[in-house]
Amino acid sequence: MLDTLSGDVTPDCLNVLLHVWDALDHQLSPAAADTLHAHVAACDRCRDYQRFQVRFLQALATLRTRQGAPRHVRLRVIDSLMTAGYTPR
Amino acid sequence: MAFEQEAIPWIDDVYRFALSLTRDESDADDVVQDTFLRAYRSWHTYMPGSDCRRWLFTICRNVFLRSRERARPTVELDATELDSIAVGSLYSTAVRDGFDDAFTRLDLAPAITAALAKIPEPFRSTLIIVDVEDQSYESAAEVLGVPIGTVRSRLFRGRRLMQEQLLTYASDAGFGPRPASARAATKCLTHSAGTSRQTA
Repeated sequence: MLDTLSGDVTPDCLNVLLHVWDALDHQLSPAAADTLHAHVAACDRCRDYQRFQVRFLQALATLRTRQGAPRHVRLRVIDSLMTAGYTPR
Repeated sequence: MAFEQEAIPWIDDVYRFALSLTRDESDADDVVQDTFLRAYRSWHTYMPGSDCRRWLFTICRNVFLRSRERARPTVELDATELDSIAVGSLYSTAVRDGFDDAFTRLDLAPAITAALAKIPEPFRSTLIIVDVEDQSYESAAEVLGVPIGTVRSRLFRGRRLMQEQLLTYASDAGFGPRPASARAATKCLTHSAGTSRQTA
């Protein structure tokens, strides 16, 4: 993607490079998002780049489902809460 | 709603966040315990119907900072465009070396865990809140006590650092040569632009 900066880069490709994460995070205005998405739909290079970034973010999100509090932490929390007056039902 | 129904179910999320902050399981255990204890004692201040997880994350971060008896991390960056361009450079190298699909072909969970531990604060906690815990920029800003623009700049830098780590991992796993050229290009861009700054 950066290679394009020294070659046949278009303003639309540069816009994708700078704002693809803003778009994926829903941080762009509707008009800016439409412009970016329209170019991505028409440009193979930018579509591949966006797909790469989507997969990266999906890989990070998998961590959420893989790691939770160990049982001993849960028991410790409940124990300390009960000492403070908490009564589980 | 009672504490049991509102707060306790978020213990996994709070634990992950605490672990990302402390990078030490024993310290994370302490932070989680203290977080829930403080939350319970302050339950009367919780506004029913608000985001309990966000509230717990805020307490968790405060507990962590107090436990370390040190000031809030002060590195601020406004070089999001530079980070975006550097990530483009990483991508180009990944394509050139044939591991641009590494994120789908590899089980990256161990690599992500290891890479996260190497990401410095405040980028790591921002990455955890937004990309792992799926919180909004607004929520992250509230938890971290910074403006939304700062969340964005920290997030972009954190993602860039993560991609460098993960693509190196992919390279080491046999997907292609180590992306040294990408790191060199990234470093060159970073140093030549000189847009990083320290603020008090």
